[in-house]
Amino acid sequence: MALLEVEDLRVAFGASTAVDGVSFSVPEGKVVGLVGESGCGKSVTSLAIMGLLPKRRNGRPAPVTASRPVTVEAADGGTVAAPTGPPPSATAVAPVLRRRGSGADVSGRAVFDGTDLLSLAPAAMRRRRGKDLAMVFQDPLSSLNPVVPIGRQITEVLERHRGLKGDKASKEAANLLDRVGIPDPTRRLKEYPHQLSGGMRQRVLIAIAVACNPRLLIADEPTTALDVTIQAQILELLKDLVEAEGTALLMITHDLGVVAGICDEVNVLYSGRVVESAPVRELFAAPTHPYTVGLLGSIPRLDLPIHEPLTPIRGSIADVIRWHDGCAFAPRCDRVAAPCVAGEPALVGAVHAHRCVMAEEVA
Amino acid sequence: MSTEQHAEPHVPAQRTEGPDLSTAATGPVAAPLLEVEDLKVHFPIRRGIVVERVVGHVQAVDGVGLSIDSGGTYGLVGESGCGKTTFGRAVLRLEEPTGGRVRLGGDEVTAMKGEKLRRFRSKMQMVFQDPLGSLNPRHNVDMLLSEPLKVHGVGSKAERRKLAVETLDAVGLPKSVLERFPHEFSGGQRQRLGIARALMLRPDLIVCDEPVSALDVSIQAQVMNLLDELQDEFGLTYLVIAHDLAVVRHLSDRVGVMYLGKLVEEADSETIYEHPRHPYTKALLSAVPQPDPEVEANRERIILKGDLPSPANPPSGCRFRTRCPWAEDICAEVEPEWREAASGHKVACHFDL
Amino acid sequence: MTIAKIEKLDRLIEATATARDARTGSLWRQSIRRMRRSPMAITGAVIVGLFVLVAVVGPWVAPYDPTAQTWGREVFLNRNIFPGPRPENWFGLDHLGRDMFSRMIVGARQTLLVGVVATFIGFIAGAFIGGIAAAAGTFGGRWGERLEAVIMRAVDVALAIPMLLLALSVAALLGPSLRTVMIAVGVAQIPIFARLLRGSMLAQAHSDYVLAAIAIGVPKGRIVVSHILPNSLGPVIVQATLVLATAIIEAAALSYLGLGNPDPGSAEWGTMLADAQRFLSGAPQLAIYPAIGIIVTALGFTLLGEAMRESLDPRLRRQE
Repeated sequence: MALLEVEDLRVAFGASTAVDGVSFSVPEGKVVGLVGESGCGKSVTSLAIMGLLPKRRNGRPAPVTASRPVTVEAADGGTVAAPTGPPPSATAVAPVLRRRGSGADVSGRAVFDGTDLLSLAPAAMRRRRGKDLAMVFQDPLSSLNPVVPIGRQITEVLERHRGLKGDKASKEAANLLDRVGIPDPTRRLKEYPHQLSGGMRQRVLIAIAVACNPRLLIADEPTTALDVTIQAQILELLKDLVEAEGTALLMITHDLGVVAGICDEVNVLYSGRVVESAPVRELFAAPTHPYTVGLLGSIPRLDLPIHEPLTPIRGSIADVIRWHDGCAFAPRCDRVAAPCVAGEPALVGAVHAHRCVMAEEVA
Repeated sequence: MSTEQHAEPHVPAQRTEGPDLSTAATGPVAAPLLEVEDLKVHFPIRRGIVVERVVGHVQAVDGVGLSIDSGGTYGLVGESGCGKTTFGRAVLRLEEPTGGRVRLGGDEVTAMKGEKLRRFRSKMQMVFQDPLGSLNPRHNVDMLLSEPLKVHGVGSKAERRKLAVETLDAVGLPKSVLERFPHEFSGGQRQRLGIARALMLRPDLIVCDEPVSALDVSIQAQVMNLLDELQDEFGLTYLVIAHDLAVVRHLSDRVGVMYLGKLVEEADSETIYEHPRHPYTKALLSAVPQPDPEVEANRERIILKGDLPSPANPPSGCRFRTRCPWAEDICAEVEPEWREAASGHKVACHFDL
Repeated sequence: MTIAKIEKLDRLIEATATARDARTGSLWRQSIRRMRRSPMAITGAVIVGLFVLVAVVGPWVAPYDPTAQTWGREVFLNRNIFPGPRPENWFGLDHLGRDMFSRMIVGARQTLLVGVVATFIGFIAGAFIGGIAAAAGTFGGRWGERLEAVIMRAVDVALAIPMLLLALSVAALLGPSLRTVMIAVGVAQIPIFARLLRGSMLAQAHSDYVLAAIAIGVPKGRIVVSHILPNSLGPVIVQATLVLATAIIEAAALSYLGLGNPDPGSAEWGTMLADAQRFLSGAPQLAIYPAIGIIVTALGFTLLGEAMRESLDPRLRRQE
């Protein structure tokens, strides 16, 4: 039994479905990637697992008002890696919420260590968040409270979940900063987020996230806002933390390079569904779903002959059909044939699974 | 208007005759189309509430020189804050250079003023990073595309429309989009519109500032392929500015690496990726994650320490020395000269690494 | 059957490529479409619509002459006891025996006129000043920047004076009349509009599409007129709707202070409120009717303005 088992997760905002039956698992101590482009549902998936989406239960509207865009966090006042500020990934979702004026319909299961997180009461979820599972967001600046010194933001989590107080907490906070590679940690504790560079802020966020030795760390595009040399530093740090502590990591990214470097297993998402899932080496060695193939063909490589023409995917993510009308990728697919629109394609295969009815014929 | 004669509109008919390289191909030896010498852009830092004083300068670009052959593509890479965007804008005179010279096809852009500069802009165009932000939300496609022609007095209304349709076709958009507004398009389509607008005047040089970084991966490839095709079709010269080394490598013949307002290395794109000489280039290249687990598992990473120093107060000597794994005493004292380490391979480093 | 589906798919691809869905149309058209779905906008529009309707047709539908002291004798004989609502006078009588209902209806026109004209004066003059300042500051070079600084400091000084005080001084200079009220209230709004348009224009001047226009070689004047200005007007127009509400209240205040129409017989909500003051304890209804009129109208314009602000919100605009 894996540490986290997500089964048939569905998230809908009013009439629009963001996540349409996603299943995957994160084994203990492993790094699992959720890859996809904007709008594929990868961030919503992570927010749903963390219980950060305002839920709508029994048809009752969630406590989200139309005029407040970032109530995602306020909905339960939770503490994640962002103790006070709203989770920035949520801002991507917020406009949808705002437009619908209501919350998300979440169904399915996300079993973490035997408990279904989706059925937990908000208070119980809050106790787990930051302790058993923690999250790191894309934009470190808006995830930190701008008017509170970073030391205080770290000790807050330590007090809450580990009961550390005063000097003990400060000492542990300095330890944490040291562990994430921030030089001169005692002095840094007194500084405010704006005094730190983007890379440093991301390190602070990671320090907050790992403060309570969580068993699962969810990182939502943790390096997208950073420069490539800083990205390398942060990825290295995450790798070290995972190896040293045995923490499982769910890595959400659009960058297949990042996936190749850090992940053990990969799930490729398209239009709210997993279209391919495999151990990392197998996925890159033998991509099966045309979308994965297309993504790999779209990336210019540094290690291949120069000026090799790219083979992009035609069209754009806006050109999707609903899954129950056939394969959502069909309008952009080069292999499209009659069976593709004859019905819903199923996820087939055990270790290396894919959702393409034409795969066998091509391969 | 009397200025209309020297506007020299490149009318659609010329397109079928092949690339218009008249400005560059006049001399016996093909001179570079764009020549930039020692370009500097310093921004004053002002302090004070009532009376503003200049307390220092941010040296966004501090003496960058390069040249691009007609029909070639020069890729300028660097991380945020290195001054690459400011450089691109200064070349187009969208930012006032503090010093240095820019020549395009023999004409000195940096010496032009007022109406002459405005007219000259038809020869040099720009593609922006943010495709939506760079399109006026209240103008439909027809207005967006015909405006460059209108302000340079090219053609009648019907001719302008015809040219707009031709250009839309060249960037892969149907004629039916003419009446639509920017917000009605997807990101990739908007970038195609931005490119179409830059093409309307059939310029010689197009500065592409992060042309694909705002787009999804699958769309990036479409736009990069499009830029390639258009270069052949219209005989364009590109200055591509990007932070993504793989994108720059894919698009460019020659690559320059910028760090803190200065070029640190320049070479043919093949050479610079195979044999980087500057420690910063080496670090950058080693930091780019490759979509291949085998490659990722086996490579040596040069992890740079620390962050970019402030361009208002750059380090003495070599600007990279504070983060350089190979730095020695001399690096703090003497600024490395911009030397030719091998034929066509320039580098600013004291050592031969 | 599958062939039919493939065809359907082809049509779908075709459709998405050239779709004209909810995102279509110019921004203004979209805003209007959004407003039609907003309860706030609908409420505001209904109130404002009713008010405008009454203002337009008022004199023809009023049951009695609003200035005629038809029941003057009755009021006088009853020792200043003003009858409340009754079948022949729905809102009762005022202290001179005039029909309150007719006075309210006819008064709407004056109130609307004052509000609209005053806002118009403030909008035109303020937008002109603010527009000049922004254009000079953005494209006028060193001298332009100085001009902008001078204009904006003057506007700041004007803003520092309480609006009512400013209106009062103008009114005192021109002598009491309806025109005075319009000009006074209008002048007091100028600095607000000037600041707002300048701020809005400066924000647009730093946008990428303006840089793109410069790169294309669009002349400066054309950039201001065809790029910056149209994109800056949204918040100013919203403000105009909101200012209309303030203008109505201020006009009422000026009339109340005796700077409005000197003709004591004229029906205007502010003057009516002032007149009612003397009888507040005995006949509060005389004050309540015009007060409610002013409040509801101001509320209507405010709701409409707020709804417009929301529908023009660029953050929302980008989503759809």
